[in-house]
Parts: sequence; C-alpha cells; structure tokens
Amino acid sequence: MSGAKTSTRPRLASARLGMPRPPQLPALKARLQRGRELSGEVLRNPLTLAGCLVIAAFLLMAALAPILTTPNTPDAYQMPRDWQAIDAPPGSPGHLLGTTSTGGDVLYGIIWGARKSLQLSVMVVGIAVLIGVIVGSLAGFVGGRLDEILMRTVDVFLAIPELIFALAIAAALGTSFTNIILALAVVFWVKYARIIRGQIIHVKQNEYVEAARAIGDSRLRIYLKDVLPNSITPVTVQATLDMGSVVLIGATLSFIGLAESGLTEWGVLVATGQSDVIAGKWWVSTFAGLAIFLWALAFNLVGDGLRDVFDPKSQRR
Amino acid sequence: MQVRQYVLRRLLFLPLVVLGVSIIVFALTRFSGSPVAIYQHPDMSQEQIAELQSRYHLDDPVPVQYLFWLKGAVSGDLGWSGVSVAPVVDVIPNKLAATMELAICAGLVAVLLGVALGTIAGARKDRAADHFVRLFAISGASVPIFWFGLLLLIPLYVEWGVFPIGRSSPEFFERIGHPTGMYTIDALLNLDLRAFLDAVWHLTLPAITLGFATTAIIARMMRSSMVEEVTEDYVDAARAKGLPERLVIRRHARRNALMPTVTVIGLSFGFLLQGTVAVELIFRWPGLGQWVTSAITAGDQATIMAYVLVTSLIFLLVNLLVDVAYAYLDRRVVLGG
Repeated sequence: MSGAKTSTRPRLASARLGMPRPPQLPALKARLQRGRELSGEVLRNPLTLAGCLVIAAFLLMAALAPILTTPNTPDAYQMPRDWQAIDAPPGSPGHLLGTTSTGGDVLYGIIWGARKSLQLSVMVVGIAVLIGVIVGSLAGFVGGRLDEILMRTVDVFLAIPELIFALAIAAALGTSFTNIILALAVVFWVKYARIIRGQIIHVKQNEYVEAARAIGDSRLRIYLKDVLPNSITPVTVQATLDMGSVVLIGATLSFIGLAESGLTEWGVLVATGQSDVIAGKWWVSTFAGLAIFLWALAFNLVGDGLRDVFDPKSQRR
Repeated sequence: MQVRQYVLRRLLFLPLVVLGVSIIVFALTRFSGSPVAIYQHPDMSQEQIAELQSRYHLDDPVPVQYLFWLKGAVSGDLGWSGVSVAPVVDVIPNKLAATMELAICAGLVAVLLGVALGTIAGARKDRAADHFVRLFAISGASVPIFWFGLLLLIPLYVEWGVFPIGRSSPEFFERIGHPTGMYTIDALLNLDLRAFLDAVWHLTLPAITLGFATTAIIARMMRSSMVEEVTEDYVDAARAKGLPERLVIRRHARRNALMPTVTVIGLSFGFLLQGTVAVELIFRWPGLGQWVTSAITAGDQATIMAYVLVTSLIFLLVNLLVDVAYAYLDRRVVLGG
C-alpha cells in the first residue's frame, strides 16, 4: 500500500521543493544505466576482472559439484573413503590432485568445499550486515543515549581480536560447522554497525534530509528513502572484502578442530593433510590451502576495485 | 582535549571494557554447560560430584557464579587449568612470554620490512617495484597463515631439515637460566651466544609465518600514504632547493607518511596475537595459542576464559599506547572526538 505510493514519488525531497529535478529518465532505467556504468568502470581494472573470473569459477564449481563428482557416502559433504587408493599422489588415474590417508579424493574435497565456503561466507556476511545495519542505524539515526549505549557495547566487542572472539564462541557452542557460522556472525556485525553509524551521522546533515524534514516526511520515511540508500555504499565494499576474510578465519577455526572431522571444508582438509606433511605427502594440505588463498584473494581484489570506484579519494593509490 | 586528560579517560575506561569482555566470555563458557567435567575423576560417585559442584558454586545461578569468579579474579585467582594441571595464574607467565616473544619478533620484522617496502613502492608509483609490492600486499592479506606455515615447513624442515620446530634445543634450554621466559633475552642475559643463536634459529620460521600478513598490511598502508605525501607542495619545495631525491624521501615524505601507518601498526598487533593460535599449533610453539587449542579440545573453560581476557587486555593496552604515541607525534590530532 505505502510501497506503491512511495515508488512514484521522486527520491529527493529537493525535487518537490522546486529545486532542479534530476533528468527525467524513468527511475528503473536510470538505475540500470548507472549500474552498467559502474560495473564497466569496476571491470576495467585487470586485477578486479581477474578476481571476478576466479569468483565465477568457484561459483560454477559449487553449482556443478554433483555433476563434476559423485559422492560415495550418503552425506555428500563427507570426504569419500576408498581403501584401494590411500595416499595416491597427484596425477594418479582418477585422482587428479591425489588422495588423503583414508583414500579421500582431494579434488572432490575442494569442489564440495566450494559449496561450504559459499555457505559460510554468504550466511555470515548476510547476518552480520543485517544486524550491523539495524544497530548502526539505531545508533546513528536515533542518537542520544541509545547511541552511547550501543557504541559502548560495540567498543567491548571490538576489544577482542576477531579470531580469538570467534574461537571462544565456537568453543562454547561445541564442535560443528554451523556453530562456526554463528560465531563468525556474532563477531563480524560490529564493523558494519560502526560503518553505517558513521555514514548516517554524515548523511543526516545533508540539505535534502533537511528538506524532507521541512516538508513533514516521517522519520522512518526519511531514513528509508533518503538516509539509508545514501549510506550503504561503504557497507557493500566491506561486505565484499569480508566474503574473503570470513572464509579465511572460518578455515582457521576448522583447521584448529572446531568443525566436524571428515567434512569437505578446506580448513578441515588442510588439517587432515597436516600430519602427512611430515611424511612427505604434501598435496592434501597444499591444494586445500591454495583453494582458501584463491578465494580470499579474489574477493580482496574485487573489494579493492569496488573501493577505488566508489571512493574516488582512494583511487589508484 | 589535552593528551594527559585523554590518556586518563582511556585508562579509566579500560577496566570497564575488560569487565564487559569478561561478562560476555563468562556467559559464553557457561552456555556450553557446567565445567565440572574437567575437575571430576572417573571413579567419583554422584555425591562426590555434587559436593564438587557446590564447593565451586557451580550449582548457583550463572550471574552468582560470575560474581564468585569476579571476586576470585580481583584477588588474583583465575581458577584451575585442567590441561596444565596447575592454577591458571601460575601457567600464564610462561605461556605469555613465549607468545609475546614470537609476536614481538614478528611485529618488529613486519614494521621494518613493511615500512621499507611501502616507502619504495610509494616513491616509485606505477613502476615495477610498485606493482610487485602491491601484489605482495594483496596476497599477504589473503594467505591462510596455517597454510603458509606448512608451505615453509615442507621444504625447510621436512625435506632439507634446515630449520627446527619447537622452541629450543634441550641442551641449550637446560644450560641457561630463564628469568624472563623469552629465550632470546634469557640467552643474552646469560651471555651465551650459542644459546641465543639457537633461540633465534627456532624463532625464524614461526616469526616469518606470523609476520608475513602483517608486513603486507603495513606495506599497503605505508604505500598509500607515501603516494599522497610525494605530491604535496613541501616535497616539491624540498626538491626545488636542490635536496637529493634520497633525502627528500627519507627526511620529508617518509616521516609524514609514517603517521597514518602508526595506527595500522596498533591494529595489526591484534592480527599478530590471533595469528599465534595457528602458528603455535604448526610449529609446536608452547605459548598461549597452543594452550587454548588444547583447552578447547578438553573443554577447559577456566583456561579459555583466561586466554581471551589476557589477549584482549594486551590488545587494548597496545592500542592505547599507539593512540597516545600518535597524539604525541602529531599535535594536530583532536582526541576523544
């Protein structure tokens, strides 16, 4: 009801006050065009493009996992066991990247691990952004005592290094991959709350917000139509960077032993291969770790590219 | 705000933050159930377990348990570490010394190397050296520390045996006294050069592994602030008066570019601290990180709690020091704003 009404109104209150209107393109078309321009600008940087390609490859791998490989256990996210092919080196027939000491195919683990990494990063970043935006908005937009209370809470959360905090939470919740997701979400929202609060306090001082208030728009409406859309950009940059670092920290936690053993998760796979490294069997840990590295690298490259485009001050530094 | 006033305010605020951290972590550890399992013996009867519960107030409501814990903590009792079979406060000094020795060494190398690399890259923007440093910086931030450690171990320990794992060779450990618990310093205090070299030799691989990512972060920050500084007017002025480029960079641009890097150094200390968990596990370094991973496996809550508190406290203090140093270095900074 109110949604239909709002969509026909111009986005900036300044337009309704007789100030110069933006070009008369239909809103959707204008947005699409702006999106095309921005993505063109982002992809012009070769490093960003490389990052996008690696991410696309991982997504494809995750999507096609059941076609690329066939699980031999009821749970596809468990490493297969094949006692005929223990410790096969890379290049063995049927085992391109070799096998583990229980005959698990390393390539299988990496392909199904892509799904686990995708699940981990999307869930953690999704939950963290949601909580962070709500808390940060309340602090920045409402202000006053609420701001003080929320920000002091944020200070306490920031006092514990990320990995150590996540480690303590995951240890308390018990060994499981789901608990790693929960633990990381609890740790990561804080950053977003800070970013969005700062942005909102800055955006709130703009003339168009003043104008919207002057013509009697409700606070919720001002927040949703004027303040939030203009504050969200740094969050998207941070979220892209975090898609990589979440997998990096998540893999560290599962490497330490906080995920179920035998899971097709890259950190677990590195840990599985760790004891064999001493015996000269280098491939399990090396390839699994390489997957984590490429995943994090790709998102870092794209995140950097986005920051260059969205924040012209930092461009080509 | 005056620097002194600011430091005082931060110092007053510090215990409150630590208190907040302790509440969160205590609630978390109790979330996983009563910690009685670590204290009980398999042969104990139900009555004996119940007596154990009541002796350690484990049958009280959680907030009351917390108050008992807090009372103990204030008087210097952080509980019993099941994995070390000793009181937590007795175990901490040794583990802390091991971890700090590793973190400080890695940090020093990272700062020196990061600043040098960042300066070179920033002064030669868009040239080969710059591209190399940028690539290094971005891959450094993406490398899983535990994997990097294994990559170093495979050739240097497993294949060629150039470097050892662990903290020191037994003969050197026994030969010298250990007043500080940091073996390199202990060896120097004992004027034992061979023991010192042995400690450094053991420290090399873990420190490189731990410092790698931090070097990358610092190099990246240093580079971007150098790029900004070299376009400033005062740099042109220095060049115009005929100062050699080397001195322009060293005396003028680098000095100012260091300012924003100082804050990053403080933050990256947290990065170093959390990195020790994986590094200590891989290189069998007997510090806090290895202690907490064994505590997690055993469900030893007193140890986990102490670990989080100690590391947070160090992290907070380092950041306070960095902020104060920053304020002294640059009097234009408005504090507390």
